[in-house]
Amino acid sequence: MKAVLRYLAAVAALMAALAPVYWLVTISLKREIDQFAYPPRWIGFAPTLQHYVEAFGSGSFGMYFTNSVLLAAMSTVAALLIGVPAAYGLTRFEWPRDWNNRIADWILSTRMLPPIVTIVPLFLMLREMHLINSLLGLAIVYTGFNLPFVVWMMRGFFAEVPREIEEAAMLDGESRVGALMRIVLPLVKPGLAATAVFCLVVAWNEFLFALILTQTNAAMTLPVGIASRVTQYEIKWGAMSAAGVVAMLPVLVFATAVQKYLVRGLSLGAVKG
Amino acid sequence: MTQRRPHLLGASGLPWILPAVAVLLALSIYPLIYAVKVSLTGPGGAFTFANFARLAGDRVFAAAGVQTLVLTIAALIIEFTLGLALALLIDSLARAKSFFRAGLLIPMLLPPVVAAVAWRLIFNPQFGVLNGTLRELGLNTASLLWTGGDRSALASVILVDVWEWTPFLFLLLSAGLQAIPPEPVEAARIDGAGAWQIFRDVTLPLLRPVILLALLLRAMDLVRIFDQIFILTQGGPGTATETVSLYIYRTAFRFSNFGYAAAMSFVLLAATMVFARGLAQIMRPRTAGVR
Repeated sequence: MKAVLRYLAAVAALMAALAPVYWLVTISLKREIDQFAYPPRWIGFAPTLQHYVEAFGSGSFGMYFTNSVLLAAMSTVAALLIGVPAAYGLTRFEWPRDWNNRIADWILSTRMLPPIVTIVPLFLMLREMHLINSLLGLAIVYTGFNLPFVVWMMRGFFAEVPREIEEAAMLDGESRVGALMRIVLPLVKPGLAATAVFCLVVAWNEFLFALILTQTNAAMTLPVGIASRVTQYEIKWGAMSAAGVVAMLPVLVFATAVQKYLVRGLSLGAVKG
Repeated sequence: MTQRRPHLLGASGLPWILPAVAVLLALSIYPLIYAVKVSLTGPGGAFTFANFARLAGDRVFAAAGVQTLVLTIAALIIEFTLGLALALLIDSLARAKSFFRAGLLIPMLLPPVVAAVAWRLIFNPQFGVLNGTLRELGLNTASLLWTGGDRSALASVILVDVWEWTPFLFLLLSAGLQAIPPEPVEAARIDGAGAWQIFRDVTLPLLRPVILLALLLRAMDLVRIFDQIFILTQGGPGTATETVSLYIYRTAFRFSNFGYAAAMSFVLLAATMVFARGLAQIMRPRTAGVR
């Protein structure tokens, strides 16, 4: 009996968590007359894809989507290229007076800066460099944003690889870089992949920097594109919901892929999960 | 003569970390210094403290500060309580644990903008599904304005945050529960302790580090809350849901008063540093093994 109640409570919680998402999906699939019908239609409406066609065919959401993909990819690759060597350097060398930990703490502290604190100066700096409304400008900002995360995550993964393994390889004539590329990186591959996915998701979901640094259609990301429609006088709920559903799908797929590392990533590597 | 360990051979980690340090100096530290300069510069380019002096008398800023604080504390308490209850509940299930866990996480994974859009659809007093459902149940919803009401707007924003981020507390606390070794719990049970006693005297103390970590991470995100409010209410009605981040945004990018925005952002930074210090202390011992 008690067990049944527990399952009922768990199902209720699950429904509360999923109902808003489900509702958004139904709005994106309903004809306009069904969207706001009374009583609300949870099931049993005639589905249509017209809002998806409208949003991504004739509308600008296709361009926003491409921008978001490019931006997530560019900034993730850059953050990994700069962050992975740094993590390796901090875990594998002798540092005098605890400097490796001090530098790691400092790196983490930059991640904790509220975006609104750095956005005003970054906006002014990028404006001087003519990098407003450019994917490149935003990619640079995202790289800096994800870099501390990469360093902290990869530091944890590198620390789990016994040093003796690459020392043996180096005694066999591998260079330091060769040992990293051929011995260590393959060993931390799952962690590396999880770190990359986290960077992709953060860049994909980010809103504040994108809102301020991209104001033209050509540079807007998906979240900014969606937001710009909400604040208009007449809201096209169908197209906007369709864009929202498309924006959330990649994140859900990615999250499923890194489920094992979710706790670790969300706690910046502090909880191994 | 034995061969020296390779990691001691002329080994300096410095070249490995220099690019990262340079990027972070350029994108985090330099902007901070720049912000100090901007906040201390008057309209004519002259040095001034006016932006900081203005802070003290700005009632909108004070209201935004109070609202941010109320929102942070209320959301933290509710999310922690619900998250812990959910973690204990799911942990006690015999099967389908990972199914429930995966499903319950979804709100937190969505782009915040998308989550907020969904809630705008739900909250709309006339055609939203929330009032629609309540009306169907025979309730009079004429006075239920949710994000549109002066008195209910902040509570509605908190509701959305609770929906979106309770999963975060749930996930970390779940992981914490699973990491608790079974022996102390067993020992307490053998000694005749009841379920509540075991929870209070064994489970909770062992969870303490994870609880602290989760609360601090969440608190840091809450004091800077922006995305959801920008979509849901834009700070309104009036200034009912104005938060510090939103007010800074408006000051800088609607009224182009960058100096005053920068000055205000340092107040937010100070608040964040309190949480960050606490976090650093928790994270330090856990990574002490990293060398």
